[in-house]
Amino acid sequence: MSSREGQIQLGAGAIVASLLFIFVAIPNFVSTPSNVKNIVLSPLFWPNAIAFFTGLTGLGMVLTALRTPKPDQKAGSDVDDHGKAFIRLLWIALIMIATVFAMPWLGLVWTAMLAFAATALLVRTKHMTIAIVSAVTVPLLLYVFFAHVAGVAIPQGNFVRLP
Amino acid sequence: MSFIDNLMAGLSLVANFESFLALGLGVTVGVIGGAIPGLSATMAVALTLPFTFSMTPITGILLLLGVYKGGIFGGSIPAILIKTPGTPASSATVLDGYPMAEQGKAGKALGMALWASCTADLISNLSLILFAGWLASFALNFGPPEFFTLILFSLTIIAGVSGDSLLRGALSAMLGLMLATVGLDLVYGTNRFTFENPNMMGGLNFIAVLIGLFAIPEIIGMVWSPKAHDGKTRTLGKNWVTFQEYKKCLKSIVRGSFIGVFLGSIPGIGAAPSAFLSYSEARRKSPNKENFGRGEIEGVAAAEAGNNGVAGATLIPLLALGVPGDVITAIIMGAFMVHGLQPGPMMFILNVDIIYGLFIGLIVSSAFLFLIGSLAIRGFKYVADIPRGVLFPAVLVLCIYGVFAVNNNLFDVGVMFAMGWVGFTMVRYDVPAAPFLIAFILGPLLEDNFRQAMLMSGSSPMILVRGPITWFFWTLTIITVIAIIRAGIKATRNPVMGSDLE
Repeated sequence: MSSREGQIQLGAGAIVASLLFIFVAIPNFVSTPSNVKNIVLSPLFWPNAIAFFTGLTGLGMVLTALRTPKPDQKAGSDVDDHGKAFIRLLWIALIMIATVFAMPWLGLVWTAMLAFAATALLVRTKHMTIAIVSAVTVPLLLYVFFAHVAGVAIPQGNFVRLP
Repeated sequence: MSFIDNLMAGLSLVANFESFLALGLGVTVGVIGGAIPGLSATMAVALTLPFTFSMTPITGILLLLGVYKGGIFGGSIPAILIKTPGTPASSATVLDGYPMAEQGKAGKALGMALWASCTADLISNLSLILFAGWLASFALNFGPPEFFTLILFSLTIIAGVSGDSLLRGALSAMLGLMLATVGLDLVYGTNRFTFENPNMMGGLNFIAVLIGLFAIPEIIGMVWSPKAHDGKTRTLGKNWVTFQEYKKCLKSIVRGSFIGVFLGSIPGIGAAPSAFLSYSEARRKSPNKENFGRGEIEGVAAAEAGNNGVAGATLIPLLALGVPGDVITAIIMGAFMVHGLQPGPMMFILNVDIIYGLFIGLIVSSAFLFLIGSLAIRGFKYVADIPRGVLFPAVLVLCIYGVFAVNNNLFDVGVMFAMGWVGFTMVRYDVPAAPFLIAFILGPLLEDNFRQAMLMSGSSPMILVRGPITWFFWTLTIITVIAIIRAGIKATRNPVMGSDLE
């Protein structure tokens, strides 16, 4: 994707987001008291103003990009295989989602250990032994600091509880 | 209170073991964080922030300032030894630092980088002490309209200079401002984008947004393209910098330091442009012009003085006006707020002991930087060898713990991951993240001052141009917009020249 194409996509995205905010999100998800007479002081004013300027910025981006000449060749990519890269992205997204949902159930420490190991596997680290040792020790050390030094109540989960 | 009283009050806060330990530890963490390719001073400061919650305000903030200063210097070590700047600010150091390393003079280059960094750091800290109080006393005259125009100017300049394009920076700032509207309305207390979720009523947690924007995209980026750094680590060699060489470069170091102080005190400019400007000035004035880019020690000195000169000066707008000059000072502002302090002119009246304590700590940090930096140069080999496949999962775990610890809230961890994807998308589309974060922090302040001004004037917009201070900031804002648009048009017309200048 060239910088020109990217700018057109961004600009178009900003215009769409601006319209969605003005016509859908703000009327439905921003409430205002009925006795506010002055629009400038209304809770609706600021989000509407920002949405308007977002749309204006998007329009500026599209117009500027259209005025820029098309590049002769496509920009180089930073990955060899886009398909595999996207699959890896999907996996890290799944790891993140699983982390959020597993934390109340498994506890922060065990979830963090699994997240560490899964991420290390995903990036195919050549230092698997170090990764596994670190996957156990790093969350434990952080637990010791946050639970016993900083006094944070770290969620323990339903299974193994730490002192 | 007199200056001596203030100084004594500050000294009573910092003259203890914990403060010095925090400062030393901060510089060490910063140097290591800055020296690891792939991490950065920003990420190091962001990841250290959760560890400060259990500390006293002064100790916690000194720890973060230590990380900041160490991180800026630490970036120069991989810049010289493996041609990979640890932080963007060290990009100018590569120009002469790496050719020196190729000639077997890496030790000399790193030594000069350290001496120049410490000198610039000291000059920058002294400038902060000199100007911050003066600016704060002036800012006491500011009312809501003045603060509104000041914040608007700051956001404009940050949006304009953070990336390659004003429009992308502006879009980033708009998104940050929109995200800042989440929560209860400041005046009426009604819901704005809370979706009936009690976790969102207080707005999104600043630290979750910050770590999500600046640490998680690095992890996702590593997953997207899992490559180790390619550079070959050079040995230090047997040549070390001499006092004679330092004296020869002193003029460039002092000039670079003042360039750093000037640019650092303007919100948004940052260390990288300052390093390049200092470098180009040193080259212009040097009798060895033709040697620049081929391993000229004065080039290393000028670049490092330029980027370290910024470190103290970026705290001038933060402490005196309550406006963060860059992302790192935005994080430090977050630390102030976590500890119940609001940076700005009133802090010079209400918490003057903390202000002077910080000043004293900053001066001491230059000495720590010198000592710890000398050791770090020799220990870089071990830092560079940390496998990225282990480092980034560790950063992920650190992020999870750090964000959870802010409010003991798992919802914040979800926000952090969501913001990580926003940050990654922004990186892919070349949208700078700094305006987003700073707009997110300043958004409520901007809206609050705007609404207060409107309440004061009975909704007359004329209050926003009520006096010389507002005129001054409006003029600066207009000049900034015109200058950035002109630069953008020039770069579009002559892209080859534009890329050369970069």
